[in-house]
Amino acid sequence: MKKESPLLKVGFVAPTLLFLITFNLYPLLYNIVLSFTNKQLSQDEYEFIGGHNYQAIFDAASNPKFGQALRTTAEFVLFAVSLELVLGFCLALCMQAKFRGKPLVLTLLLMPMMLSPAVMGLFWNLILSAHNGILNQVLGGAGLPTPHWLTEPSLKLCAVLLVDVWMWTPYMMLIALAGLNAIPGYIYEAAEIDRASRFTVFRRITLPMCAPLLLLAVLFRATDALKQFDLVMALTGPNDTSTQTLSALLYQLTFANQKVGLGSAYACIVLVLVIALATVFTRYLDWLATKRQGA
Amino acid sequence: MRARLTSIVLSISLCLLGSSCKHDSKSEAGGSASAALADSAGAAAGKTVNIWWAQWAPADGLQQLSQEYEQQSGVAVRVHQIPWSSYQDQVFLNFGNKVTSFDIVVGDSQWLGRGATGKLYLDLTDWLPTVVDVKTIQPQALRYLCEYPAGSSHYYAAPGETDAVGFAYRKDWFDDPKEQAAFKAKYKRDLAVPDTWEEFKDIAEYFTQPQNKRYGTALLTGRGYDALAMGFQPFLWEFGGSWGDPVSFKTKGLVDNAGAVEGLTFMKSLLKFAPNDGPNMDYGKTLEAFTSGSTAMAMNYFAFYPTIVKSLGDKAGFFVMPSHNGKRFSSLGGQGMSISNKVSPEQQKLAKDFIAWFLKRETQEKWTKKEAGFTANSEILNSAAFKQATPYNAPFAQSMNFIQDFWNVPAYNELLAAAEQRLGEALDGVKTPKEALEAISTEHDRIFKEAGLAK
Amino acid sequence: MKVLRTLVIALFLVVGCLPLIWLGITAFKHHPDTITSSAKFLPVPGAPIAGDGIAFSPTLEGFEHLAEPHPGVEFSFLDHLLNSIIIGVASTLASVALGTSCAYGFSRFRIPGAKDWLFFVLSTRFMPPLAVVAPVLIMYRALDLPNTHLGLIVLYTAFNLSLSVWLMKGFIDEIPRAYEESALVDGYSRASAFFRIILPHARTGMAVTAVFCLISAWNEFGFAMTLNNAGAVTVPVYFAGLQGNTNGVPWPQIAAGALIFVIPIVVFTVLVRDHLLRGVTFGTIKQ
Repeated sequence: MKKESPLLKVGFVAPTLLFLITFNLYPLLYNIVLSFTNKQLSQDEYEFIGGHNYQAIFDAASNPKFGQALRTTAEFVLFAVSLELVLGFCLALCMQAKFRGKPLVLTLLLMPMMLSPAVMGLFWNLILSAHNGILNQVLGGAGLPTPHWLTEPSLKLCAVLLVDVWMWTPYMMLIALAGLNAIPGYIYEAAEIDRASRFTVFRRITLPMCAPLLLLAVLFRATDALKQFDLVMALTGPNDTSTQTLSALLYQLTFANQKVGLGSAYACIVLVLVIALATVFTRYLDWLATKRQGA
Repeated sequence: MRARLTSIVLSISLCLLGSSCKHDSKSEAGGSASAALADSAGAAAGKTVNIWWAQWAPADGLQQLSQEYEQQSGVAVRVHQIPWSSYQDQVFLNFGNKVTSFDIVVGDSQWLGRGATGKLYLDLTDWLPTVVDVKTIQPQALRYLCEYPAGSSHYYAAPGETDAVGFAYRKDWFDDPKEQAAFKAKYKRDLAVPDTWEEFKDIAEYFTQPQNKRYGTALLTGRGYDALAMGFQPFLWEFGGSWGDPVSFKTKGLVDNAGAVEGLTFMKSLLKFAPNDGPNMDYGKTLEAFTSGSTAMAMNYFAFYPTIVKSLGDKAGFFVMPSHNGKRFSSLGGQGMSISNKVSPEQQKLAKDFIAWFLKRETQEKWTKKEAGFTANSEILNSAAFKQATPYNAPFAQSMNFIQDFWNVPAYNELLAAAEQRLGEALDGVKTPKEALEAISTEHDRIFKEAGLAK
Repeated sequence: MKVLRTLVIALFLVVGCLPLIWLGITAFKHHPDTITSSAKFLPVPGAPIAGDGIAFSPTLEGFEHLAEPHPGVEFSFLDHLLNSIIIGVASTLASVALGTSCAYGFSRFRIPGAKDWLFFVLSTRFMPPLAVVAPVLIMYRALDLPNTHLGLIVLYTAFNLSLSVWLMKGFIDEIPRAYEESALVDGYSRASAFFRIILPHARTGMAVTAVFCLISAWNEFGFAMTLNNAGAVTVPVYFAGLQGNTNGVPWPQIAAGALIFVIPIVVFTVLVRDHLLRGVTFGTIKQ
């Protein structure tokens, strides 16, 4: 077996890695540089101002925006992922059985998650309108309360959650279904022989065996939810306190307030959080891979 | 290798196609006959002046008007319209590029400070007086739309469009004898155009019948860009507050004093008589609330009113901002034409030629014949012909006497964003009006300090 | 139990599809019919516009106005659709090409620090676009890339690489090494083994990866809005720009455009429905 020339190895891998370094690593580093300046969006010149931006961020008294954005994002991720998990899992349980037309139903159910959040978010504006939106008309017709989804402050985040859950519950269902289908049939048969109750089967067999995949789905979905921007832009705009997620805050700072330096400082902090999450994620992926190989 | 080569070749050719698309389609997709005329007549020259403005009726009017310019000069004029909610962001984003996509930007009055100090707008101080007699420009328009700093006679924009906030009302509802009788029975006075906010409130209350899908009023409360701030300003000024001291940039005791709080509280109370989206209506939504036939009185800039006349005709009437305690103020609107500092000198010359033509007396008169073409020329503004030309011209001309503007310092966008957010919180009930205004004061103080304007 | 199950599925199906159905209906209405306070969902030719009740008069107005620009805009929806197509297809081709070769390298060779590299590749997917858009914008301005097709193509290629590499690695890992080994023994070079043996077997994988990359680029909004707002504008940004229209948001046009925009996605989803699980989990979960 002739020895592979290292040049060949590099040839396959290097272009991609170079691309990624240019577009992911370099912006990261440049972000750090920018965070120590007072660059504005429409000006070319800027000066270095030391840690002034970071000081402004952590000076919570004069700047509650960051804490608020963190809180809003955390709330959003928590509620979105939990709801999607529960609803998706329930739906997967129902979809486990074979029935006629299952492939069609499955494909239809999966449609919402493939659409553009920006485009659908815009259209949901029409559906959620308190004045003439169809959702409130349906609710009103059924005698239910008709809240002002997009104008009531406590409901604005709910509106974003609603659209997100609508869009991503199929995602959780898909993964939960994979988890459920991976449980070998003989375990259920053994449980039946032991005359275990349905609830016990669910609690002791189904859930624990699904858990690893479900956790993976949760992690995937959580990292995506952290980036939430399209729906916020479409439904409430980036300058609304009730729905200002981290990405919306970054947009507001960098593009509306045009303070690129300050925006970069915020971005650096966000990226630190993201990298921490990514580390947890890939550690878990590794663990999962070895576990599945072992099992 | 073949697959990769093919894909690379494909990508490159697509890119070349794409970038050539960018340059070509701008000239081919124009669509108007005169553009074709100019293209064939001045095709060798192929010169175009690109103007960016907000998406509304006056921009349509400017495009129509400039077709005459094309016929005369052979230089094509393209007016690119961007909806108000993203107009500011788009323009300043574009200003960051090495060359801007526009030669002229019809920038909002607040942008002057940023445009001037950031070297984005061409300095017109020496040139402007040579093409127009500065004394014929309406003083408020000159002060707020053209010069920076105020009163310095340094010009960074030529007067383009003037504007003010007023009200449109359902004349047919007001003229209906049944309504008049019922109103008089309840409020002991005639149903007429309100002069004070108290009268306004009664009328709004009277017309609010949600069961008949009728509402008394729609106010400017939009959270993107500046609708809410513009809607709030008349209340702020009339009830005794102000944004701050223009010299010391102090805001405490001015933007959050008792008068300001009263004004914001009063504005919030009027939202009881608004349609369901009342607390978050931008210019388009307020307009729609009125044109859809459900609202009795709608607040908006006069420049939006041609659309109302088009859809409601005689049913609509117009009146100026109601007063409070004898004080009457309206939010200034309007945009000046600024030339981008980031285009070639040849394009700047073309832009100057167009603006010089636009400012000519006969062009300004034609401009007033376009929908909401509000000239800044005082003589025309005060003429009887202008006031009678449309139902809204007279109240508009009257409004020009009591207009005021928001801050136009370079950091105006931060000030605006902070005000929009806090005022929004007050309308939503997240903060009380007092808390919201105090929060504005704190944030504005911080912004002024950072900008080096206040100590 | 079965009844409950059917009910639940039916409920989710209705809730899931109703907005899409409403989108479809809205595309065929006159503008006043889309903002009435009573929902109209019964197409009856000749019904009064903006009347009461549930009937509306179907029309192709929304579709007709798609092709003509409304006043003050030089480009119509079709221009933006073309931009989306050009940018989507080009970035997908590049992504898949680069991703496949990179995945092959990681799959077959021992690359020092492979685990760390793969982690780096995956982590790029976690970055919020808004966190890196400012440096990218500044970098692009220096290269004159904002508002061009090339700018977004290159950017989308870079951001889809993580998906591409991970998905293709999964697919290539499944191709038995024995296939290339025999080719290598026969004297073929590694590179030609790659093209002759691996690529044909990875065809399905490449197609699946291409579909997911295309969908990702097609739907992308954050970068498109901030980098390409004045030229080479893609469809999602075009729609967002219609908000705040002073003549009222043109819902029939938006619905018609959204329908056209969504059709390729629907087609592709159906085509790769067997691989959906794999695609949305970066190849980490296979069915």
